[in-house]
Amino acid sequence: MNSKSIVDEKLHAAVADSTTGLPLLVRSEMLPAVFPVDLLVPDARQQTPAVGQRVIRTDARQHGLGQTPYIDDMVIPGMLYARIKRAGVASARILGIDTREAEAMPGVMAVITGRDIPVNSFGPSLQDQPVLATERVFHAGDGVAAVAAVSEQIAAEALAKIRVEYERLPAVFDPLEALKDDAPKVHPPAGNIYARKVICRGSVEQGFADSKHVFEQQYRTQMVEHVPIEPHAAIALWDANGRVTVYSSLGRITLGRADLARTLRMPINRIRLVGTFVGGNFGGKNEITQEPVLALLARKTGRPVKGVYTRTEEFTASTTRHPFIMDYKTGVDSNGRILARKVRLVLDGGAYCSWSETTLGKAAILSTGPYKIEHVHVEAMAVYTNKTMTGAMRGFGAPQVCFAYESQMDEIASTLDIDPLEIRMRNAFVNGSISPTGQVLHSVVVRESLLNAARRMNWPEVDS
Amino acid sequence: MIDISLTVNGGRHELSVSPETTLLGLLRNQLGLTGAKLGCDVGDCGACTVIIDGRSVNACLMLAAQADGCSVLTIEGLATREQLHPIQQAFEVHASLQCGFCGPGIILSAKALLDGNPDPSRQDVREGLSGNLCRCTGYAKMIEAVLQAACVMRGETEDVDGKSKAGS
Amino acid sequence: MKKRGRGIACMWYPIGFTVAANPSAATVKINEDGTATLLTGTVETGQGALTVLGQIAAEALGIAADDVHVVSGDTDVTPMDTGAIASRTTYVTGNAVKLAAEKARAILFEVAAPMLGVRPEQLEARDRKIQVQSFPQRHLAIGDVALQAQSVKGQPAIGSASWNPPTVPMDPDTGQGKPFNTYVYATQIAEVDVDDETGEVDVLRIIAAHDCGTPINPMLVEGQVEGGISMGLGFALQEEILFDAEGRQINPNLTNYIMPTSMDMPEIEVVFVDNYDPTGPFGAKGVGEPTSVPTAAAILNAIHDAVGVRITSLPATAEKILAAIKSRGTDGLKNIKA
Repeated sequence: MNSKSIVDEKLHAAVADSTTGLPLLVRSEMLPAVFPVDLLVPDARQQTPAVGQRVIRTDARQHGLGQTPYIDDMVIPGMLYARIKRAGVASARILGIDTREAEAMPGVMAVITGRDIPVNSFGPSLQDQPVLATERVFHAGDGVAAVAAVSEQIAAEALAKIRVEYERLPAVFDPLEALKDDAPKVHPPAGNIYARKVICRGSVEQGFADSKHVFEQQYRTQMVEHVPIEPHAAIALWDANGRVTVYSSLGRITLGRADLARTLRMPINRIRLVGTFVGGNFGGKNEITQEPVLALLARKTGRPVKGVYTRTEEFTASTTRHPFIMDYKTGVDSNGRILARKVRLVLDGGAYCSWSETTLGKAAILSTGPYKIEHVHVEAMAVYTNKTMTGAMRGFGAPQVCFAYESQMDEIASTLDIDPLEIRMRNAFVNGSISPTGQVLHSVVVRESLLNAARRMNWPEVDS
Repeated sequence: MIDISLTVNGGRHELSVSPETTLLGLLRNQLGLTGAKLGCDVGDCGACTVIIDGRSVNACLMLAAQADGCSVLTIEGLATREQLHPIQQAFEVHASLQCGFCGPGIILSAKALLDGNPDPSRQDVREGLSGNLCRCTGYAKMIEAVLQAACVMRGETEDVDGKSKAGS
Repeated sequence: MKKRGRGIACMWYPIGFTVAANPSAATVKINEDGTATLLTGTVETGQGALTVLGQIAAEALGIAADDVHVVSGDTDVTPMDTGAIASRTTYVTGNAVKLAAEKARAILFEVAAPMLGVRPEQLEARDRKIQVQSFPQRHLAIGDVALQAQSVKGQPAIGSASWNPPTVPMDPDTGQGKPFNTYVYATQIAEVDVDDETGEVDVLRIIAAHDCGTPINPMLVEGQVEGGISMGLGFALQEEILFDAEGRQINPNLTNYIMPTSMDMPEIEVVFVDNYDPTGPFGAKGVGEPTSVPTAAAILNAIHDAVGVRITSLPATAEKILAAIKSRGTDGLKNIKA
């Protein structure tokens, strides 16, 4: 395939030179085609009108050639590599952090702890998360110190030389335990319930009294990781005017810049945040993680600093999907029409709020399903535990409540001997239906989606 | 340091590497070939897949020194100046990649599959891609693209849009 | 023995988010040859947002997707955007892009109107031309108008705009209010085989009928649905972060945290449910997140249909299903009033 590949030793030499501390390339003959391939543009990109066309993605060519530049593919001359030391204990007081041995290592250019961070807290609704833990560890994935070194390997080795002394504190891992009065407080003196949402419409008591059948069931879901194939990554560098540029795999650069301004205590106009191509997000890259740490290491060393999470950190030190405990009580008439639904949601909120308020809100609003129900009562709360923080993940709580309300819908259908399609058709929202928050709904197509899917699956009762 | 010599994308390289350098580290940091990605560093995700002597391997698991005397194909060596490889073209037309991070590895796994089995079944393709994780696409458009590319490589269609050759 | 079952699940999902305003701004610059550059503060995270936003700008300007270059994600360069979150990009950023493109287009209409001898409001932009509505034979090439605007009239065609979905805050005691401007709706039906001797589930087929308003790019919508289903399948059957008694993760790696591979995925049929939302750009709403919402419920209902056990805690692993089959499980279900 490489008949036309060109020789370019100069480019090769430059690549090798820029990689500090690594052995240089001795001699090479050829480089492959790493420049754009000059081909025709697929038709759909040229058609008008543009909307509705199966247009080839603007990044498809680069993706296929392996030329899309993600953070870890970027190399800046003189760049250092950062790693963060993780606590490994879920709840503890930090008695001391000794970084001297790490700092003395050849190749280690700087070590920082939470005390070096101007404002050591952040979070999209509650600023309850330290960039690096200083006095107390709230979950095992908390960072406690960070290293910048000339290579990733030296940075990793330096972490082992950092000594942290902990005093273990009581911990709570079960959200229902965390609700009890005598449970250990994750963020004392605050209580463990950190967000609450109530939605009520009509009278569920009346609705249940009017119901022919009442169904009651608890449903639970688990903690899930986003697993973007590209781990969180960022590079920070400063210019001589005191401006910092951060290249990041963040999906929300406006908020990210505000968080950087807060944690670094800097005016926003001295911060440039560049959102590069992101190798998968799914809600997991919606807030800063290591960016302030990299910026401070870069300032301390005067050199660009890159940080890339390990796969383990991706699990333990970034957000996850909230486990839900969901109690559903639903009253129906003899035809399977839902008259009343009472829902109680307890979200295992992990160690920090992150996007829990949004998740809680969406879950609560959506929890009764796409159904016309006169009497609803929803109570939802997010609870601190000493576990990995939970945050935004594709669906913001909707997959959890959908599992509950649709499982119960089938349970009602089978008890009343009604076809699962039919019971949904009877209850579904239509244009002009009122949502549990009292909103008049428009462009509603629940029934159309049911019928479309059922016909395609040859659902027996679809046209009966 | 260990002196090695290997062929990468048709070009010969003589290099000196430390014993712990992985093939992925060599490709990315020394040769500037960043198409192969570091996704997990333990051979679970397949983002670092390259082809060595016709076989797809996880470059994060192989030491550079083990590649001495081998011929390595990375994603950068698959296209020429004039032409995308049929798999690359099919992936483009079918929007088979979304974030793209797993793409180089998946495309090379697909190439290794088609080189060994020019007429794979859908199930063969599923198996051929099963060592590469993708979180964005559900693999559906990748599988379509690989089957389409196989048709093109067998000469049954002229291009990945599925236009038939005249007279066929 | 393998038993087959089918399960249905439908859902609704809001576009945008609740806690605060979630605006987007955009700038569209029409170049002097009639091509254009779009500046947006959102970020491409794989969903194809930049392609779709380019199509929206192109549609408003009457040019093709390839005529629009999209610049994104740089706080020094691009206008404010709430970001790639909450399935809001096509709807919220898309509305901002459309408004910005219309502002830039209005400059072209002003310049073209005297050249065509009509008023600006009689013009439309189509097929790379500025033309008189209902009289397409009276037209100018968009590039000629753009050049005239910039080099003769000294009015480069640039438009900036922002958009924020109108909402009403929720009452803290009752939750009454209008938290979102619009919602999407969908149904997925799963067909599964369950081995009643091992508890193993094989998801064979999923029909996914989704409403996203106008699909701006049907191919990319299909990609979102297929990807969302894979995430929903993992949620249903495989994925779980486990902790030891000390609160440390047991399986923080892809060896022991099992997620779907190409071997696990069913055949997926994507069905677009016809819809047009007048509040969205060219009728579009959004599609990113809702695609993974009903999948687990549909699969779990299909498992119940196949082997008669209802698993009430996810993931529904083979062990859990087998245990429920063995205990003739209804898993503690209650119908307290029947």
